[in-house]
Amino acid sequence: MPRDLAQADAARAVVFTPLDGVGRGERVAQRLRDAILSGILRDGERLPSESETARRFGVAVVTAREALESLREQQLVQTRRGREGGSFVTFDRERAARLMDERLCGMSRGELRDFALYYAAIAGAAAEAAADRAGPEDLERLAELEDGPIEESLGAARRAVGRFQLEVAALSQSPRLVRAELTLQVEAGSLLWLWLREPDGRERSRLARAKILESLARGPEAARAAATAHIEAAADWLIEEKERLEAALGG
Amino acid sequence: MIGDNGDSARHAAQEVGEAFGAVFRIVDDWGAAIRRELEAPGRSVSTAKQLDSIVGDLAIPQLLADGLITGAGFVAAPGFLSDAAWHLAWWLRRLEVPAERGPDAALRRLATVDDPEADQFRDYTTLEWWRVPATTGRRHVTGPYVDYLCTDDYTVTITAPVGRVGAPVGVVGADVHVSRMERALMPVLRSVPGAVTIVSHAGRVIISNETRRAPGSLLRIPGVSEALAGLLAEDAEDSGNPGDGRGGVTELDLPDAKVLRCGDAPLGLVFHG
Repeated sequence: MPRDLAQADAARAVVFTPLDGVGRGERVAQRLRDAILSGILRDGERLPSESETARRFGVAVVTAREALESLREQQLVQTRRGREGGSFVTFDRERAARLMDERLCGMSRGELRDFALYYAAIAGAAAEAAADRAGPEDLERLAELEDGPIEESLGAARRAVGRFQLEVAALSQSPRLVRAELTLQVEAGSLLWLWLREPDGRERSRLARAKILESLARGPEAARAAATAHIEAAADWLIEEKERLEAALGG
Repeated sequence: MIGDNGDSARHAAQEVGEAFGAVFRIVDDWGAAIRRELEAPGRSVSTAKQLDSIVGDLAIPQLLADGLITGAGFVAAPGFLSDAAWHLAWWLRRLEVPAERGPDAALRRLATVDDPEADQFRDYTTLEWWRVPATTGRRHVTGPYVDYLCTDDYTVTITAPVGRVGAPVGVVGADVHVSRMERALMPVLRSVPGAVTIVSHAGRVIISNETRRAPGSLLRIPGVSEALAGLLAEDAEDSGNPGDGRGGVTELDLPDAKVLRCGDAPLGLVFHG
């Protein structure tokens, strides 16, 4: 098939991809699972009711029920009956760590690299535009975020990285890059920033952020390179961790 | 050469100023109306529900009128209401839904996260649109900025304090999407022969009749930042007289550009050849 024809056909096929896809229940569950594992939704927090969950995600009530059921099976939520009842987040650190390990081992190296490349494309473009568009006072505000001591827990470090990445995206002045950054954080932040569970990872991420800050003042190319390096380092660690986990299982 | 088209640039600056002036007047009127309600003898406003009804009556019809304003409301000072420590009575226009379908479909109420322990909680008193009017006692224009807390859109927010300087009962305000400003004001810019760009006080491009100038980028023309600082600072001195922003200098000539203030708005119109 001539190359240009193949391209045209691939693009056509995308046009007619089903909008909703299959397994909406699983997608809702995955979204909530990621939010729980990454600490966006906190232990003990009450989730919206089935009907409210359905309304917010734009799915049928039965789909929302399916999603909550799946989270219950994984012991990520607990449902209590009665007037004060509802579904509550139950975050157990060890179980969460085990689920993350399973998820990491369930992904191939290729998939992890591909994801890192995609995230780097978004975060890199955001940093590049931010370097061009931010004023000195914007950079000062960003530096203030990074002022405190190195975070001591996975949750705190995750929130700090998420906030930092989001603020850099906001400095790009691009609503689309901000939206893409947020989506990536919600869907894959818990996995990509898994190195933050180790003190060494928290320190390295902090240094990488300091480098990004410094590069934002230096210029667009330096900023892109620094933003990309942060993500690549996190991905390198992930793949090494996957090796370690799989070796341990194998042995 | 730049001076030749001074009149058309002046006219454009005036039109931009008037479009913003209309939004300023609406926000000021809301502030006055809310103050009247709060101070009316025999009336006590202490619950979120009471406040929502007062603010909703003002903001909702304006949002459905589909002018420049795309979001509007009142944000209460922490502790002002008896039943909600942190409270936003703020509505956003859902631009994809026609206004005829009524407020329930065409508007979205901004959700309040009032639990300071929650992750999504943001102490809004630290944000520019609250902090500046609350501490200066004066109207303030924030942005343009990507409003990721509310709409994910590129927005300018106008806020004014209600109550005492330093300890207001809240701020009243309106959001204007940059894309809507572009639609409303581009014809004015097109009528100017030559390149002309509307910039924020920080020198950030909001709308330009030059195709290659992206909104959000900085207009890097020597001397423009300093000129903007000078022209827009004027605003601080004659604050008592809305509509009479013409007391001081309203334009400055630079070697490569002419910078004009847009009426009462803290915006600059840069005519650059």
